[in-house]
Amino acid sequence: MIRLIAVRIGTTLGVVFGAMALLFLLTVLVPGDPASTLLGPEASPEAARRFVIEMGLDQPVPVRFARFVAHLAAGDLGTDVLSGRSVASVVAAVLPYTLVLTAAGMALSIMLGVPLGVYAALHPGSAADHALAGLSVALIAIPNFVIAILLLLVFSVWLDWLPVLGAGDANDMADQARRLILPTVALAVGWIGFLARLVRTAMLEVLAEPYIRTARAYGLPQRTIVLKYALKNALIAPLAVLGLGVGRLLGGAVLIEIVFSRPGLGRLVLDAINARNYPVLQGAVLVVVVLFVLTNLVVDGLYAAIDPRLR
Amino acid sequence: MNHTRRDLLGAVAATALWTTSSRAAPAKTAISVRVDRDFEVLDPAFRSGLQDGNIVRAITQRLIGTGYNGAGLTLDAAERVTQTSPTTIEFVLKPDQMFSDDFGEMTADDVKFSYERFILGQNGKESPYKGEWANLKSVDVTGKYTGTIIMERPRAGLFTIALGDVAGCILSRRAVTERGAEHSTRPVGSGPMMVTSFEKQRQIVLRRNPAWTGTPAGFEQVTVRYVPDPRTTELGLRGTDIDFSALPPQIAEPLRKLPALIVKDQPGIANVWLGMNVEKPPFDDVRVRQAIQLALDVDQMLLAGYNGLAPRAHALIMPQVVGYWPDAPVAKRDVGAARKLMADAGHAAGFQARITVQSQPVYQTMALVARAQLAEIGITIEVDAQDGGSFFSAGKGDTGKTLELFMIRFNGKLDPNFLAQWFTTAQIGTWNWQRWSEPKFDALLDQASTELDDAKRTALMIQAQQLMKDSAAFVWLTYDVSVFAYHSWLTPALLPTGIDWALDRFAPA
Repeated sequence: MIRLIAVRIGTTLGVVFGAMALLFLLTVLVPGDPASTLLGPEASPEAARRFVIEMGLDQPVPVRFARFVAHLAAGDLGTDVLSGRSVASVVAAVLPYTLVLTAAGMALSIMLGVPLGVYAALHPGSAADHALAGLSVALIAIPNFVIAILLLLVFSVWLDWLPVLGAGDANDMADQARRLILPTVALAVGWIGFLARLVRTAMLEVLAEPYIRTARAYGLPQRTIVLKYALKNALIAPLAVLGLGVGRLLGGAVLIEIVFSRPGLGRLVLDAINARNYPVLQGAVLVVVVLFVLTNLVVDGLYAAIDPRLR
Repeated sequence: MNHTRRDLLGAVAATALWTTSSRAAPAKTAISVRVDRDFEVLDPAFRSGLQDGNIVRAITQRLIGTGYNGAGLTLDAAERVTQTSPTTIEFVLKPDQMFSDDFGEMTADDVKFSYERFILGQNGKESPYKGEWANLKSVDVTGKYTGTIIMERPRAGLFTIALGDVAGCILSRRAVTERGAEHSTRPVGSGPMMVTSFEKQRQIVLRRNPAWTGTPAGFEQVTVRYVPDPRTTELGLRGTDIDFSALPPQIAEPLRKLPALIVKDQPGIANVWLGMNVEKPPFDDVRVRQAIQLALDVDQMLLAGYNGLAPRAHALIMPQVVGYWPDAPVAKRDVGAARKLMADAGHAAGFQARITVQSQPVYQTMALVARAQLAEIGITIEVDAQDGGSFFSAGKGDTGKTLELFMIRFNGKLDPNFLAQWFTTAQIGTWNWQRWSEPKFDALLDQASTELDDAKRTALMIQAQQLMKDSAAFVWLTYDVSVFAYHSWLTPALLPTGIDWALDRFAPA
């Protein structure tokens, strides 16, 4: 067991290290001068040169990477050279918004996708099954930013039920919750369809297993068979996808954050790329990678909880 | 004192008007203004862009301020500002101007600190806006409220570029020193408003400064929201989330039909042009550059890029600025003459070239029109659309030597030297992407920068623009247009540039 944990931690660190090394390499390959973008045209060549030195961009990539890792080991994500603020504080200011949005999107996907998938599997070939299949494919196919704009037009502009943009007043939970509704739906819609299809397929396979037939022969109630014996096993495959899904949702959240003008990690990364603000980019991407890796660790743990064969 | 019947009637009418307007005063005490770039540093000397500058302007005072909605310069923190010689300006501060958060009264030492840090830097960092205080030697404090600004050389744009704009904003020496880096997000000022909240990626909240004794800000609260997406902004304006925003012309167009909104166009003060790298063959041949000028139909390009809303430019300097050249020749499309020039230059069969533009619809559309027009004289154009980060490095250093054609936009200021500074020999490899060098042009600019007489300065700048024209390295497209959309119950306060706003002066209509 200890060996297993050690291997998992080692793999996790390897993934984080590899992702950051790749990011450093990409920042070298991407054209663009941070001093021009961040300081603007009026900065003198001397100020621009100093700025580049301050960012450490005058050093070779391996040196920059080693410095980054060394600072990281000391718990320091670096400093945003432009504002003088620590990258950790910049990331920490927006991280909660992304976590809340991703968690809400994932929760809504599960809450709707799983029951729909189960229902479709229990009524294969029915009109409802066909309708759900069509709906699921449509939800998967439509990009979430298109859904976001449609939701805004309908619920904010035409009906005036929900606000258009922002994350709400920091001291008003109700306002924050209201402003979370549309982004959550826009983010989750594709995943609802995807999960419904996945659960349906898995459930159909499990429902055809001999042990389910045996359970039916014993006269167990349908509810018990479905919820206690079939669904638990059918969820193993969707669970694996959910782990990856968190990564997709973190990525998909960028567009949602832009359309709804919500703060978040995705937008922070995008702004940092556009501005070539590498310290912020590195810090924000590191947090995204760590979140993704941790989620998958949790999912691995859940496998074991669901399926004793994996313990 | 004698009062006439007319005085009395006037007083009655004024009282009635005041009463009516008081009763009709809208309930709105807070507004939401949208900006398209995130906030970074609320410090005049280290600001990251216009959005930071607009906030700084609302929370601080300057010796003199630029008037909004067409008004000229007015006294602000100063009781008196006197130019006693071409290189000395004496000022007297009004007493009892208090900095927020109990940082005390503004003194001449704060003025010295605020201006000199532009040239001296702070904590080893050089201000990116050092040029705004170019030629400043020192600020000598002569009393608690009095001082003298001493310039090394006369500076023609001193009042518009430095004293009257963000560079002239006065900070508290004690507050900057004590708060350190935190001051850039929790700034201290003595202006009509104060920052009560700074949330990166979201918004800045400005509220009326209770210590301010001048004309109160138009609204109790101004929330300045960062909303990058113009489409979302359009929806926000249709609803109640955004009350004022600048918008791209195409996005603003459908809003003109809405009765609750006002869409206002203001002539821009930016330069948008198509440049040619005069060092890169075949553009090193002036005949090729002239052929390109003759082959392009600028009006068609503007129609496609700006829906015809942006007026055409004929030279570098726009009508609002000293140095405007009203008689600048207007290039007219002449494909026959362009083909002849191409043949004379040995390119009768044409050639292939690349135009580099920023990946924004307006530039990409104009580049496509240019491609179609240049194809008629045998030039096959490849459009290279780049994101902002890459694009603004495309003409720099050695990379700039390989640049061929490009289309670019620079924000302007109400000063001809500011507008022309990017085209000097010293800027080759930095912002002079044409790599055009003309010592006479450099000398004229230098002379104009110290010429305090507007007429003489205009003459110098017209000569400079004539040299630019002779180079044929520039195809001036437009000075751009600023389009604003806002609710009809609101009167925005726009500074002459259009891109700068006096947020504290936004008021109920």
